[in-house]
Amino acid sequence: MRTPRTLEVWKLGTVNYLKSLKLQDKLVSERKANRIPDTLLSLQHPPTYTLGKRRTDHNLLIPEAELKSIGAELHYTQRGGDITFHGPHQAILYPILSLRSIGFGARSYVEALERSMIEFSSLYGVKARAGNKCETGVWVGDRKIGAIGVRISSGITCHGLAFNIDPDMKYFEHIVPCGIADKEVTSLRRETDAQLPSEEVIHEQLVTCLAKVFSYDDVVVKEDPSVILNILEDDD
Amino acid sequence: MALRMWASSTANALKLSSSASKSHLLPAFSISRCFSSVLEGLKYANSHEWVKHEGSVATIGISDHAQDHLGEVVFVELPEEKSSVSKEKNFGAVESVKATSEIISPISGEVIEVNTKLADSPGLINSSPYEEGWMIKVKPNNPAELESLMGPKEYTKFCEEEDAAH
Repeated sequence: MRTPRTLEVWKLGTVNYLKSLKLQDKLVSERKANRIPDTLLSLQHPPTYTLGKRRTDHNLLIPEAELKSIGAELHYTQRGGDITFHGPHQAILYPILSLRSIGFGARSYVEALERSMIEFSSLYGVKARAGNKCETGVWVGDRKIGAIGVRISSGITCHGLAFNIDPDMKYFEHIVPCGIADKEVTSLRRETDAQLPSEEVIHEQLVTCLAKVFSYDDVVVKEDPSVILNILEDDD
Repeated sequence: MALRMWASSTANALKLSSSASKSHLLPAFSISRCFSSVLEGLKYANSHEWVKHEGSVATIGISDHAQDHLGEVVFVELPEEKSSVSKEKNFGAVESVKATSEIISPISGEVIEVNTKLADSPGLINSSPYEEGWMIKVKPNNPAELESLMGPKEYTKFCEEEDAAH
């Protein structure tokens, strides 16, 4: 009889990218030391471009200096994957999980993240699929609706997935998204005529899909995670 | 992966040798990789790196089990020559399926050679994890550290238990 597995969810609203990195670093240490259970951050970012470990900045099509004028930041990270855009109306989930305790390797973990987004898309009648080899992510036809970029350190995951609900697509024109030149980016809004509920509900549904795919027995929403964010600010 | 490891150890136990039986179990390519998936003569860490100790040089890479669980490797980050590595501390990273995974050193020592082929051919880690996919060569500064690593039989069991647990 296996021990029931709990996922603790932090609903964070809109969080500055650097702050979210700082928070994830802290949580990865805590998870590694077994002081917290598997934890999931559910949030959005203000307009932000990010690069992965390979630093593929040739895929940023406007000069870095111009980013400020379009209201965006740029950050280099240690995650896998190419350049991407995060912004309002894009749902982000950062699972901080112990891969050993869920019995996954990198590949099966990423496949489960894909399945979570595919399952979520189906709630709105959108038939999404996992990417082909070298095109990790979630697609509707040839249009990318969900992106993945993950870091695994000491067996603990951070970064995660980004699912386009209804972001401002013009931001994607300034990059070669995920380094794939000939494919479009899409969103839930574009792929369905269904009435979309509030974003809070959408985030909850996405979290539920992930919890189901990862077979968590319990999902516990953390009380007042904004307290933690304020503590992080004080640490500066 | 669990099925492959099970098939491998079962086939070994039954001493199956006829090619007819082998092809009945799994495609030929997988079978030959199953039987070579844990090499004799190496030591293994529970983070799935292997060490080949020959005289004063220890070669380090990641196991077949590890490369299979990673997926296709597209990028490898390795330390510089003359840098030092420490037991159980990360010395580099690989990227596969949009995930960067740290590689942990099984021993401490000085890096004397780095496999520069991996820059242009990171897939060698998948196709030849124990030979052409080697990552670094190290001059160990504490050979006793090798004693605490697993031998091939222990490591095979470790992988089977890890895969079976879920």
